[in-house]
Amino acid sequence: MTAASFNATLALIRDTFREAFARRIFWGFFGCCTALLLFLIFILRVDVVQGALATVSIFGNSLPSTNVQNLVQQTQSVIAMVLYFAGMALSVFASAGLVSAVFEPGRIELLLSKPISRTHILLGRYAGNVLVVAANILYLVVGSWIIFGIKTGVWGAGFLVSSLCTIFVFSVLLAVIVLVGVILDSAAVAIMVTFAIMILTPILAQKNTIERLLSSEWSRYVVRVLYYVLPKTSDISIIIRHLILNQPVESWMPVWSTALFGAGVLGIGLWRFNKRSF
Amino acid sequence: MSGFAIETEGLTRVFRNRWANTELRAVDNVSLQVPEGCTFGLLGANGAGKTTFVKMLLSSVHPTSGSARIFGRDSREAAARRPVGYLPENHRFPTYMTGWSMLDFYGALSGMDSATRRRKIPELLSTVGLDERAWNIRLGKYSKGMLQRVGLGQAMIHAPRLLVLDEPSDGVDPVGRKQIRDVLQGLEQQGVTVFLNSHLLAEVELFCRDVAIIQKGKLSLTGSVKELTSSGGYRVTACDVPEQLIPELAAQSKSHRVEHGLLDLLFTTREQANKAVDLLRASQCEIESLAATRSTLEEVFIRTVSEKQGG
Ligand SMILES: Nc1ncnc2c1ncn2[C@@H]1O[C@H](COP(=O)(O)OP(=O)(O)OP(=O)(O)O)[C@@H](O)[C@H]1O
Ligand SMILES: [Mg+2]
Repeated sequence: MTAASFNATLALIRDTFREAFARRIFWGFFGCCTALLLFLIFILRVDVVQGALATVSIFGNSLPSTNVQNLVQQTQSVIAMVLYFAGMALSVFASAGLVSAVFEPGRIELLLSKPISRTHILLGRYAGNVLVVAANILYLVVGSWIIFGIKTGVWGAGFLVSSLCTIFVFSVLLAVIVLVGVILDSAAVAIMVTFAIMILTPILAQKNTIERLLSSEWSRYVVRVLYYVLPKTSDISIIIRHLILNQPVESWMPVWSTALFGAGVLGIGLWRFNKRSF
Repeated sequence: MSGFAIETEGLTRVFRNRWANTELRAVDNVSLQVPEGCTFGLLGANGAGKTTFVKMLLSSVHPTSGSARIFGRDSREAAARRPVGYLPENHRFPTYMTGWSMLDFYGALSGMDSATRRRKIPELLSTVGLDERAWNIRLGKYSKGMLQRVGLGQAMIHAPRLLVLDEPSDGVDPVGRKQIRDVLQGLEQQGVTVFLNSHLLAEVELFCRDVAIIQKGKLSLTGSVKELTSSGGYRVTACDVPEQLIPELAAQSKSHRVEHGLLDLLFTTREQANKAVDLLRASQCEIESLAATRSTLEEVFIRTVSEKQGG
């Protein structure tokens, strides 16, 4: 990468951050994360009694002694799940506007007239958007991980790794947003399609049950194809839980097949963007 | 080096509407050459295809056929656009940016490093006449004229050799227009090629050396402003002209008018004008004035446009 193209990439990413934080929704996200961290700092008190046992008090009410490690992991997995589902939905919601803003007439022409390729422009924006969301997620996860570590001495890495999974799934969903944005120019449709995927995949994850209910061979086939092609958000949520609870992960297939889906969708998005006239 | 800042060959863009099954040739087989260092105006009625032409040149619209070159390089190459500054028509600059951060952003995209940007930004913001208090205000709060100025600054930040401006004085007050024209004239003296889309013919006439007129996508006239406007004719004004002489003089002239005792005659050729003067002097009339007139660019434009429409 030459110095000029590095400068351009940096500018695209910085611009995405600036635009994100000019929108209230990201401040909302950031505020929620901060509130949760403050809650953990000031309200949650954990006194390690002896060895692995501890007394936990929330709002001054003591809970009976529990296994610290277990308690921390359970709490972390709750945080991770809230982040994974609610945080993801919020991020998708906020990012759809961020992506379609680039295609606004009167703005895109100027961007395209600059001496950088269209692929570079779109990837720069994409990377910026992933980084904005990643910054928010890592702020919450790393922050609470440190608080838990200091208060309880439990420093398991599973929680940190799980946040990378969340960021990864977001980056795949963002590819969908980009593709729909490029083709249809509509943030609303992009949100709808992405949410449809997020709702559909937990259902498809029950493919064994569904297949038993379906009578025709081809409908079973359709369900199977959909399951393998679409991102496996619900399977990955299970992997995240396993990671945090320090349990073995049975199969990484949901992760790599989701990655393939994301790469494919992003590729098509880039191809359409290169073909389009504005 | 081709010697041309812009060179297009058979540039064509067809917009198809699949539902209505119609076709619109927005730009139709345009071959145009703009020499380096030239100030060039592209004129045309609304919807003639000026903006589409410029967008193809800067590759936000893909041509249906034909090609465009910028300083000899295919305009589809990203690097070919490096020496180009562009101010789009109907721009919508991101409202969260400030004047400063906008120049910073587009400067960086043009490949400038941050130290150069920091040095050039205040320079340019003052050049385009933007008050220092406005530099760090969000563009959402800018007036139309301020946006136009900051847009011009953005187009100039990386010291381009070619400036493509689509209606640059849209929404700018007369003083501002003069300022913009001065800025552009300064650039012209530095050898920068300026390509201008404009409706304001008087302004184009003041500033541009060459013009082209585009009509329904087709190039209908190109030439230097000097040549196009030189064929105005000759105006003879005389006083105390006897009534019986007027019909004879009027028959030879393009037009005539009597006002406040003065006869005003317009002739196409110098010969006709001289003959009229002979006649007038023979009848003891006083010649008040005698001048070669130039037709304005507006007259040339209207004539070209209506000729084509008539034929
Ligand atoms: N994306 C598009 N899809 C369909 N038609 C288009 C598109 N862009 C432009 N046109 C049509 O192409 C023609 C030329 O438009 P263009 O904007 O180039 O005109 P113009 O000369 O710049 O006009 P103006 O002086 O009003 O700015 C118009 O009839 C316009 O409707
Ligand atoms: Mg136009």
